[in-house]
Amino acid sequence: MAAAAIHTAGLSKDYGLGRGLFELDLQVVQQEVFGFLGPNGAGKSTTIRCLMGLIRPSAGSAHIFGLDCIRDYVAVKRKVGYVPGEMPQFGSLRGSEVVAYLGAMRGGADARAVHSLAERFSLDLSRRYREYSSGNKQKLGIVLAFMHRPPLLILDEPTAGLDPLNQREFYTLVREARDDGATVFLSSHILSEVERACDRVGIIRSGRLVNVADLDELHRIRFHRVEIEFAPDTDPPVPALRAAQGVEDVMVEDRLLTCTVRGSFEPLLDAIRGSTVTNLVSHEPSLEELFLEYYKEDAVKALSD
Amino acid sequence: MAAYLLALRLGRWGIAGYGATAFAVALLQAAGFYQVAGHTAAERQVFGRSMSLLAAQFTVLVPAPIRPDTVGGYVQWRAFGFFAIVFGVWALASAGSAARSDEERGIVPAILAAGKSRPALIASRVGAFATAAMIAALAAGAGLLVGVATGGESISAAATLGQAVALVALAVCCFALTLFIAQLTSARGGTTVAGVILLGLFLLNSLSRTFDGLVRWRWLSPFYYYDQSSPLVPGGRVDARATLTLFAIAAVVAVLAAVAFRFRDIGSPLFSLPVPHRPASYDVSVTPVWRVPVLRDLYDRRAALLVWAAGVAGLGVVSVALTKNIVEPLLAIPGLARYFAAFLNGNLFSSFFDYIWFGFAQLLLAGFAITQVARWTAEDSDGRLELILSNPVSRVRVVIERVVVLALGALIIAGVSGVAVAVEAHYQSIDLDRGRLAEASLLLVPFTLVFGTVGALLASRIPRATVGLLGAFAFASYILEQLGPIFKLPTWVDDLSAFKLYGQPLTTGVDQTGLVIMLAIVAAGLVASAIVMERRDVGA
Repeated sequence: MAAAAIHTAGLSKDYGLGRGLFELDLQVVQQEVFGFLGPNGAGKSTTIRCLMGLIRPSAGSAHIFGLDCIRDYVAVKRKVGYVPGEMPQFGSLRGSEVVAYLGAMRGGADARAVHSLAERFSLDLSRRYREYSSGNKQKLGIVLAFMHRPPLLILDEPTAGLDPLNQREFYTLVREARDDGATVFLSSHILSEVERACDRVGIIRSGRLVNVADLDELHRIRFHRVEIEFAPDTDPPVPALRAAQGVEDVMVEDRLLTCTVRGSFEPLLDAIRGSTVTNLVSHEPSLEELFLEYYKEDAVKALSD
Repeated sequence: MAAYLLALRLGRWGIAGYGATAFAVALLQAAGFYQVAGHTAAERQVFGRSMSLLAAQFTVLVPAPIRPDTVGGYVQWRAFGFFAIVFGVWALASAGSAARSDEERGIVPAILAAGKSRPALIASRVGAFATAAMIAALAAGAGLLVGVATGGESISAAATLGQAVALVALAVCCFALTLFIAQLTSARGGTTVAGVILLGLFLLNSLSRTFDGLVRWRWLSPFYYYDQSSPLVPGGRVDARATLTLFAIAAVVAVLAAVAFRFRDIGSPLFSLPVPHRPASYDVSVTPVWRVPVLRDLYDRRAALLVWAAGVAGLGVVSVALTKNIVEPLLAIPGLARYFAAFLNGNLFSSFFDYIWFGFAQLLLAGFAITQVARWTAEDSDGRLELILSNPVSRVRVVIERVVVLALGALIIAGVSGVAVAVEAHYQSIDLDRGRLAEASLLLVPFTLVFGTVGALLASRIPRATVGLLGAFAFASYILEQLGPIFKLPTWVDDLSAFKLYGQPLTTGVDQTGLVIMLAIVAAGLVASAIVMERRDVGA
């Protein structure tokens, strides 16, 4: 049986005062896109740095393709492409020189792969690094991570700073990499982002893994706050909305209706079909709101049990 | 007020470092005076005459002393003349950072976004630096008062305060000039251009002491106005007009800087040439040097290496010429023999050159090592090391490559300067043993590595404090080596200095014991830093 792409057992990094990462047990199978979801400061980057052998865990172990992340860190890096949470400074070096410099540490950069990736993201490698916008720096990070076609990609908030078009291109690239046999471990604090790209999602909060969910469970967890404004001569179809599956917390004030939608929007759209809607706004809740909702449900379930 | 306090906070390490240095130098020079000047009036007069003759050879750096037979006159010359350079360099670095580096780091946009006006930001920066310079200048004054007290004498506190104010006026003037120049240039070029202009203004004043043709232009130099005050000398005073002129120049130039800042784009100079359009390139660099370990790092810092090699070689050449000018008159002064006996051995030319040039070259190479170590710590703090270590390279290899790059850099600098010195010595008809000159030049490499490996160990353990600690180590080593003979310190205390290990290879040959100790320190430092680097957290 092939070794897991990533395996951690009781992985901990204690920074004191309750900060850090605690007893992370995680398994990412090969050729899977695994999202690591959590709010800022939850321990995502700490986990990733432990996997990259950059920081030593206080306890527990981490293995990549069966290799110990601390003891065998050089061998691990041969199998990994990495986008850091924040791209560093390379001053007056040109993008092409940064690629050559870091590519040489892997025995040389694949010129065709670099050209293809840079062209795909419209990244001009002849410009100096300090002239790059934050989005272009992030694109360079993506080029550096993907250029040697590694079997595992560890990406720390890889879409930070990318515009929607490049984000879409990035997710296409991730899917292509997976289809070519690569495993992808990417962190994010945006639920819709991991939902779009990942097969499974690990949710981390305050340094502890809360849940590992597949896409179905994610759909159950996620919800939207929706505001619907009806035309002056239209009565909001409140009974139909209250009866609609997944539509909750329906409140009406004059012609403005607010509600919460879990899962699919279809029941909501069915309920308002035939009514004249002048405005419809859907807000994705923050991760903190999601967690509060998630824990509220857990508490209710525990009480009812 | 918040921007002013923030500027002070950003400069707190500068205040601590320059303040401590100023205090220590003033204290040691004042206390050292009582060790070398003698105790009777006659002894001091002889000493004063000797110092005046000696100082006449160094007027390209500091003005000739007035009454060096007194502690005030001696410290005015040895410490406060030197402080003009030190505070000028501080002002240059600090203003360069305030004007453009903080802009690149996002500090300036954040302050402006908080509602601070651009002129107010410039005013807060100038005010904060003036405060910082005043603290450091007062520290120098305190060092002087304590040093004089060790000799059982006293010096006017008002005169000391006046000297501090004159020093602050010069520093603020240099700060404002740099601040203004940085508005006109690219972010990277600001400090360099301002440095060249300040150096030009410094030389204009100092060379005007030798070349009469420059006298009518020296009013352009802020250093000229600083030289007008000599309150520490008996009967001396602060030249109020000159000091006010410095403050007035600072005020006018700061206003110009504020106006230039008002009209330029953040991230751009006030005037810039349009960039020609060129098609985008998606290709990796084909320059082969990027593929060769060590060579790629040398290539990456080629401009800095070139400047270091040319600068050190140039100073070596100047030292040869200075040595000839100094030694010939000195040979006729028997009174100086006792003063030099503490430092020099054998042939006076070789000894003097060994003492002057290789003493200075050690300081320069220690500085070179510190700049390279600063680069390592910057790689750590800005995340470059994290990205390097995301590649299949071991941490031990990173440490070794860094030290090898430092060794090769030092070798290039020492080699170029050694050749330049040999050529100039031949041209000046000075008989220097070429074999020993080569040995002395090459010995600078392990000497540099002593600082480099100590720095590597510090950078592996406590990267944020590394530059400060290594600078303090270099300064303490240098001061110990310079003042040990004056204060007649025990041999074991002298031996603690890294500079002592270098010895006087041009005069007495390579000190084998010193070389072995240096190599042992390098080996131990390398092994220790590799071990610490293997175990430390990166990017945490």
